[in-house]
Amino acid sequence: MEDILNKIAHCIEFGKINKQSPYPPDMKDMDGADELTKQALNTGLSPDDILKKALVVGMEKIGVKFRENKVFVPQVLMSAKAFSAATVHLKPHFSNGSIKRKGTFVIGTVAGDLHDIGKNIVAMMVEGNGWEVINLGTDVKTAQFIEAIKQHSGCILGMSALLTTTMVNMEKTVKGIREVFPDQKIIIGGAPVTKEFCQKIGADYYSPDPQGAVEMLNKLVA
Amino acid sequence: MNSRELFNLTLNHRDTGKAVIDFGATPVTGIHVLVVERLRKYFGLSDKPVKVVEPYQMLGEIDAELQQALGVDIIGLSARCNMFGIPNENWREMKMHWGQVVLVPGSFNTTTDNEGNLLIHPEGDLSVPPSARMPRTSYFFDAIIRQEPIDEEKLDVSQNLEEFGQVTDSDLLYWKNQLNSVKDTEKGVIVNFGGTGLGDIALVPAMNLKHPKGIRDVAEWYMSTVMRTDYVHAIFEKQTEIAIHNLTRYKEIAGDLAQAIFICGTDFGTQDSTFCSPETFNELYAPYYRKINNWIHKNTRWSTFKHSCGAVEPFMELFIDAGFDIINPVQINATGMNPVKLKEKYGDRLVFWGGGVDTQKILPFGTPAEVEDQVLRECEIFTPGGGFVFNTVHNIQANTPVENLVAMINALRKFNGEKTI
Repeated sequence: MEDILNKIAHCIEFGKINKQSPYPPDMKDMDGADELTKQALNTGLSPDDILKKALVVGMEKIGVKFRENKVFVPQVLMSAKAFSAATVHLKPHFSNGSIKRKGTFVIGTVAGDLHDIGKNIVAMMVEGNGWEVINLGTDVKTAQFIEAIKQHSGCILGMSALLTTTMVNMEKTVKGIREVFPDQKIIIGGAPVTKEFCQKIGADYYSPDPQGAVEMLNKLVA
Repeated sequence: MNSRELFNLTLNHRDTGKAVIDFGATPVTGIHVLVVERLRKYFGLSDKPVKVVEPYQMLGEIDAELQQALGVDIIGLSARCNMFGIPNENWREMKMHWGQVVLVPGSFNTTTDNEGNLLIHPEGDLSVPPSARMPRTSYFFDAIIRQEPIDEEKLDVSQNLEEFGQVTDSDLLYWKNQLNSVKDTEKGVIVNFGGTGLGDIALVPAMNLKHPKGIRDVAEWYMSTVMRTDYVHAIFEKQTEIAIHNLTRYKEIAGDLAQAIFICGTDFGTQDSTFCSPETFNELYAPYYRKINNWIHKNTRWSTFKHSCGAVEPFMELFIDAGFDIINPVQINATGMNPVKLKEKYGDRLVFWGGGVDTQKILPFGTPAEVEDQVLRECEIFTPGGGFVFNTVHNIQANTPVENLVAMINALRKFNGEKTI
């Protein structure tokens, strides 16, 4: 049993999506995250175990390697794709409650900002760590963030900005959210964003890297 | 000594005692059109709508009047069509959502979506879907990803080469006229012929093509650099072949008038790291860069310009080895990009074009005194021994305070021993 979970974790860590996928070259023609997750469910492993003992393990490993500059954006995107291929099989179990998640994380880029690679990597890492992720996409207005917070009571909110011109919108958005939800937990990120900026605009947390965001979120529900 | 001579000296790592200045010579060293208008007002220049010379990032024209006010030493020549495949001609007025009236090319045909975002269509052709969007709370465009479903069996390299054709006679005529217009200039000249950027992520979505095929999604392209390496190699190989063919023709008309050439804008750096390992750079990119740069060095006197944002200190030696002479934008606030160390380690082999002032914090959000301090400090670090062209770290963004820009210009004048404003 443990063997297949380790294999799935390995596929996630190294970005092996499915049998057809040529990447990584040393796993050519081998089953990927897609096939192995299906097999794991068929052998009776619990969806919760598959998530926590395989998918989360693989995503955590790639997250740490990314923070330590041992892998780069392309490899993380491959892992995210492998993770998605695996979660397709777990989706029904999310909705029927057989998988318990750590919480809900709502994320989007702020108004005016269309740059979403970094934001999507954070979303994948957080989801891969056992959270439900509501990805609002790009150019998200304050009203849309507020509406999402209403719909997902108790969620933690993440927002990103890549540009100095949209950092201004981040400040406005945080202010707008605070007027309706003064205690809403907000975590921010993006290339020009800093800890000082986070304090200045009244957000709660800042992380310079995706794995840091995951670790902060986990602390909040520990 | 005129600007052209100063530029030549600094490119050859000869001390000029002055900071050679660029604003607007390349698509990565420009100024947002809104800031250009504000600067024109500040200097009391003729009141006219500013031309958008690079609409993707909404860069405004730095015309002769403004060049003089800013102390610009270098002019840049650009292609006939912009990033959306629209010829830069028949200029007309257009009001932007921030209230500014600007000049855009006659075929700059846009629509708006139901949220009021501005959409631009490739070649200005409204019968095809838009290729870029400017949110109504933003100041420039970003690509709309138009990725057709990928069938690995049917991927054909020619699909990712559609935008890299051989130069036509009419393009050459355009370039001849461009070069002719600056033949008596006393300023330095950099040419932006295009076609030599390998895997530039801004160009991958091909916003100038009506129906782009191949790999056009940004994330998919990044994944292709590890998953479809044979495909990417084949693109770069053919693109390099076309580029060298075109350079042969450009050389005949540009000769020694051009002093530098913009080669590639592919970003290899993030804020804290790089987009790939040094090994991947050496395996996937360097052979083609080397081929292009070697051809240029063998056949012309042009210096080769590489743009890469981010924390690329670990790549500096690799850039040099691949034949690049100039590095831009020298993102001094990224991890490991300490100006003193950069100058010490690479200053005799690389020209630093940029790095004059940080554009993420100091220039947009700092005080004028902080701006002046940083500009003076960077000039003192980078200027000795030549090999420095002053520019901000990448383009000056919309809403950068004019008083900070004035502080920057005054610091430059002070450094160069000129009268301040």
